[in-house]
Amino acid sequence: MTQYTYFFGCIIPNRYPGIEYAVRWVCGKDGFDLDVEDIKEFSCCPVPGIFYSSDKNTWLLLAARNLTLAQNERREILTVCNGCLTSLLKATEYLADPKNLGKVNRVLSQIGRKYTGIPRKTEGRRRIMEPVKVRHYVDVMTNDIGLEEMAEKTKRPLKNISAAVHYGCHYLRPTENQTIDEPNDPVKIDRIIETCGAASVDYEDKLDCCGAGGGVRSHVVELANSLTEDKCRNIAEAGADCIVTGCPFCLLQFDNAQKSFTKEGIPVMHVSQFQALAMGIDPISLGFDTHHVSAHSFLRKLRGT
Amino acid sequence: MGEAEKTFISGLHEKLVEDKVIDESQLEPDFAKEIVKHGGKDVMTCLQCGNCTGVCPISLKIDYKTRSIIKFCQFGLKKFTLETRWVCATCYRCYEHCPADINPAEVMIALRHIAIKEGVIPPFIRMAAMTLVNYGQSIKPDPEIERVRRELELEDMPSRNPEFAKVVREINLLIRSTGYDKLIGIESEVKK
Repeated sequence: MTQYTYFFGCIIPNRYPGIEYAVRWVCGKDGFDLDVEDIKEFSCCPVPGIFYSSDKNTWLLLAARNLTLAQNERREILTVCNGCLTSLLKATEYLADPKNLGKVNRVLSQIGRKYTGIPRKTEGRRRIMEPVKVRHYVDVMTNDIGLEEMAEKTKRPLKNISAAVHYGCHYLRPTENQTIDEPNDPVKIDRIIETCGAASVDYEDKLDCCGAGGGVRSHVVELANSLTEDKCRNIAEAGADCIVTGCPFCLLQFDNAQKSFTKEGIPVMHVSQFQALAMGIDPISLGFDTHHVSAHSFLRKLRGT
Repeated sequence: MGEAEKTFISGLHEKLVEDKVIDESQLEPDFAKEIVKHGGKDVMTCLQCGNCTGVCPISLKIDYKTRSIIKFCQFGLKKFTLETRWVCATCYRCYEHCPADINPAEVMIALRHIAIKEGVIPPFIRMAAMTLVNYGQSIKPDPEIERVRRELELEDMPSRNPEFAKVVREINLLIRSTGYDKLIGIESEVKK
């Protein structure tokens, strides 16, 4: 059985604790009972739009520090965020280059750490190492657990719900090392929605950016919001009851941006929250009160009132 | 959109319209090499096909043309490119559609690196970095959210644990080791 470690990042614990609850619940005893532990020394991944954008050396050191923690526990990193995924995954690629690795380890030695990767097998005396595995929540759900097992756990199918899936750019691209899904025609989150008994509605420009990434939200929020507005218009036209995404940063953008152009708004949730609902969790545990767009319309429809 | 548009376009486009005459003194012949040094690909191999601009979600909203920026890089118009603001959402669509395999998104990242070295630092970079050196995370803990966490019976944030001070010390050391604190001007925040 694969061993994982949670990597919640910064947004989920500090802004949307309901997602953390949902993920722990789905992966825990009430759900799929995965072998997953916490590593309390994890820091920010670090966020690519800030650190990868401003100084790659610093970015790589901070990411490598996080990787060594998972490496020492021999665990795969289970990220719940597209940003953490892209940052840590890219760092493992950089560290595959011996030149970068040497440079990083020289500095890491000052804090008593060393990145080597995880030994996969031994050939004679030589140990063959492989990079620390960085996995996305959706990847673990669909590839390690599988849709069949997920369907079995669906106790309360969300029959009357139609959801609009937003994948988010860093789930899809760059495509060269993307192994989670088909980058130009992704289906994994749609499949999860269907396993939950709900319908995933198609809408125009489904694979478009939410607008927040790369520091755009922090830098020119109006520009980011206008991209989100386009997406929300298409989603509303498709008649979706909620937006479901695998990325808390996209979620944060949809959740915060909507108040700048609409009064009501479409509720936004993480795929783990949606799953947890179908698996029978009490919605009160999903922390929807920390979301800016009220989930009432969605929950009312769910109850069928 | 008005204000944002003004702030942003003022970077590249309007300046070029104003200073129509560009003489050689404004060109940096080694600019393409500098971009490569900062992790971008060689912009000289750009075919100027414009696919990058065609698929860029930002170009739909403001006057921001990836192809033009790459062209300015080819010319060596460093001064102008550094004034383009950080509006690339790093969605990597341009990368997927580039027939010359330039990866324009990474060129934009390289331009940001160069801008930072030249002292053009957007305030949010400092803010996020300061939060990181103080809390070990890029987002400040929010008392209201911490209350919800307790309601949900989630554990307190690791950063609230006294043992987390060690993590913060390690991060501060790593940030000092690359000179990042001096680079973006937060030396006073970074602990020795």
